Amino acid sequence: MTQERKRRVLATDAAASISRMVRDMIATTHRARQEGKKLAYTFIYCCYDEILRAMDIVPVWTENYAGICGAKRDAERFMQRAQAENLSRSLCAYALCDIGFDAWREELGEMPEEPPWGGLVKPDMMLGSGQMICDPRTKWFQAAQHYMPDVPVFEVGLPWIPYEQDYRARDVEDYYVRYIVEQLRSLVKFLEEQTQKKMDWERLSELVDLSDRTWNLVVEAYELRRATPCPMDTGDAMSTMVPLTFMMGTRQAYDFFEGLYNELKLRVAAKQGVVPDEKYRILWGGGLPSWYALSDFDYFHGKGAVFPAETTYRLIEPVYELDLPPSGDPIEHLAWRWTRYWTFWHDKARRRPCSHPDVERLIQYIEDYDIDGILMHEAFSCRSWHPGLIWQLAQLKNIYRDIPSLVLESDIIDIGSYNEADTRSRIDTFIDILSASQ
Amino acid sequence: MTKESGIDSHGLKLAERHYQDYTCSALESKAQGKKVIGYLCALVPLELIAAAGLVPIRIKSDPRQPITRADTLMETIICPQIRGCFDMAVKGKYDFLDGLVLPHACDSICRPYDVWKYTLNLPYSHFVNMPHGTDDSSQKFYREILGTFRKSLSGFVGNDISDSSLSEAVRLYNENRAAVRELFALRRSQPPLISGMEISKLLIALMGLPVAQSSRLVREVISEVKQRKVNSPRLPRVMIIGAQMDDATFVDLVEKSGAHVVTDALCPGLREYSADVPVTLDPLDGIAERYLRGVKCARTYEEKNGSYSDYLDQRFGFIRRAIEEFKVEGVILHVFRYCDPFGFEVPAMRSYIEASGVPVLYLENEYSMLDASQLETRVQAFIEMIR
Ligand code: SF4
Ligand code: SF4
Repeated sequence: MTQERKRRVLATDAAASISRMVRDMIATTHRARQEGKKLAYTFIYCCYDEILRAMDIVPVWTENYAGICGAKRDAERFMQRAQAENLSRSLCAYALCDIGFDAWREELGEMPEEPPWGGLVKPDMMLGSGQMICDPRTKWFQAAQHYMPDVPVFEVGLPWIPYEQDYRARDVEDYYVRYIVEQLRSLVKFLEEQTQKKMDWERLSELVDLSDRTWNLVVEAYELRRATPCPMDTGDAMSTMVPLTFMMGTRQAYDFFEGLYNELKLRVAAKQGVVPDEKYRILWGGGLPSWYALSDFDYFHGKGAVFPAETTYRLIEPVYELDLPPSGDPIEHLAWRWTRYWTFWHDKARRRPCSHPDVERLIQYIEDYDIDGILMHEAFSCRSWHPGLIWQLAQLKNIYRDIPSLVLESDIIDIGSYNEADTRSRIDTFIDILSASQ
Repeated sequence: MTKESGIDSHGLKLAERHYQDYTCSALESKAQGKKVIGYLCALVPLELIAAAGLVPIRIKSDPRQPITRADTLMETIICPQIRGCFDMAVKGKYDFLDGLVLPHACDSICRPYDVWKYTLNLPYSHFVNMPHGTDDSSQKFYREILGTFRKSLSGFVGNDISDSSLSEAVRLYNENRAAVRELFALRRSQPPLISGMEISKLLIALMGLPVAQSSRLVREVISEVKQRKVNSPRLPRVMIIGAQMDDATFVDLVEKSGAHVVTDALCPGLREYSADVPVTLDPLDGIAERYLRGVKCARTYEEKNGSYSDYLDQRFGFIRRAIEEFKVEGVILHVFRYCDPFGFEVPAMRSYIEASGVPVLYLENEYSMLDASQLETRVQAFIEMIR
């Protein structure tokens, strides 16, 4: 079952407090089941966190549970179970882990033996948040329903505007927003039916306002990582993603980032870096991490390398820069925020010939965070964030400059794809290149 | 299949020629000064491209050739069928294209869109951002998306696309679909009048032809097949379900293993030819309706109505109907590795089909048919079992 795993070193107290936070979050789902509260399977970056919170629905973050199994190196048995159901091993490993768990739990009528942190609870509903982040967001819960036919699935269409040359985002955003508003209103209706409770619109407005402020605070805190030496790196951000992705619209998330901001301020003032002798500053330029191999960050630190910024799990921009049309309607506000978030880099990209929003963001981070090299991770089972990484690096070189880079290949939780010795030798070579280029 | 000799098979010969030399017709159009647009998947509304006076050709791959150049440009975690298409494109097979249109079908098409766009660097490119849902607001949204596509194509050709040219394109494509359905019906007999292999080659050839030429070819094939008197041994009748098949090798493998492939839910295949565009006052409404709600593809999310078993009927009922209509005795579920939309369907679809008493062989295919010995062994064992 659980294989032995190494403890990771975290730079900030804030990140060190996360493990407990996640445990509490999972415990909340178990308590909610006993107390008869409504539980919903859902996905991160779904755009409607605040709606769930306003209706007192307890979110069960399915990707999170699979990630926990991965980090505890105990995902394999659940993935094998999914495979036995004829689900291909090439599908999203998070989905495989959780669907395997669901199938097993439903067959037993209880949790499989010794499940990590008490197990994944059966939900009252499953909320897909499809369109463009990934196919699993529309297919996963539909597949899970095969083992829980009594649990309803609701699918929320959340498109974003592609970056194109033949039209501008401004030409189409009205109808995108209109659609998202309609989809979110249908979601509210569905939740009202499920909970037999009416939406408290005032509370929703307050929560949306709170999450706007949280978005801004996260950006302000993360910007402090520009300092040399870097006070917090991606190793920690893979923990601080918890309040950012699983707790948006809660006071707890806001307070957490306020604490992080204050802690980072102090660390910057005291010149406390992640590593004592900072030599290389690397951008985590794309890809979800291998949750079972986060100690690779320690390995980088041992070489004097830090990660002042990452594109992964930073799906927020300063709300005050999104230029959102004023609206008293929280649903409209959510739809505009979602839409403008995805087009945030469009205008910048248009100003540089042959650029692209994803590449433009890399360039901006390279400059803002004084970056020496880029690392990307290609997780084989996720076709969402990983296609296009090679191309982004090539385009960066074409339109900006050649910068040392490394693409590691493995997976989010499928440990069979990971080879520590090989990974570390590739890291060594990368560090040699960084050293030679200085 | 043995056929009575003496029947001229001009249509099938022509289909074979276009199958072997897939891009020849597009190159002819090009030589006549027409602009040719490459596209992927069955979900690009071709009616709009044709109405703009452009010639669409579906980009296809060849599983009998190794993927080589694509691997340095596109991640290997993309569905191999798409990687294969991209490999062909970067190797120059589609250098004649004037534009590229990709639909929001699945992650493997959607996420590497920029890789395609910037690498091929064609004068025109467009992504048709189709929603997943089929509810009314998704339908309305998709209608807007098609409006943007129409405007974009008009900008490219420098002319408005009139409603009448759209209606005419709708008519031509519906006619084409009706013709293919008529041909499909010739597989109902025992033994079928036309083999799966012949159909497969024809349908693949059609992906490279302008619609009017395509319909003419199908009509020709129908009339010659109708004259056939087939005389073949009684073989198990098989249906193949899966995504796009760019090549007839797999169908051939199944038939060589001792079965008749009598129907399918494939692209190109029944999935693509079942639903017509409803004739509507505003032609875009009908087009949106067909592509979003009419084409039964795993990538589209159908909202549940009624009980779970009703829901399965709603999603997979077309398979049962095909099983009955074509008297299917075994189903091969053929899914490419790294294909999330179809991959997630397997448990539900499999149990749904098996519940109707028809056995299912589930095959996960790596796409390449360079070494098909493993597939062959499994297919043969399955056919032996249902014989
Ligand atoms: S984004 Fe990737 S890892 Fe996350 S659910 Fe989608 S496919 Fe899975
Ligand atoms: S086979 Fe699957 S992944 Fe590949 S293009 Fe078709 S739907 Fe997409």
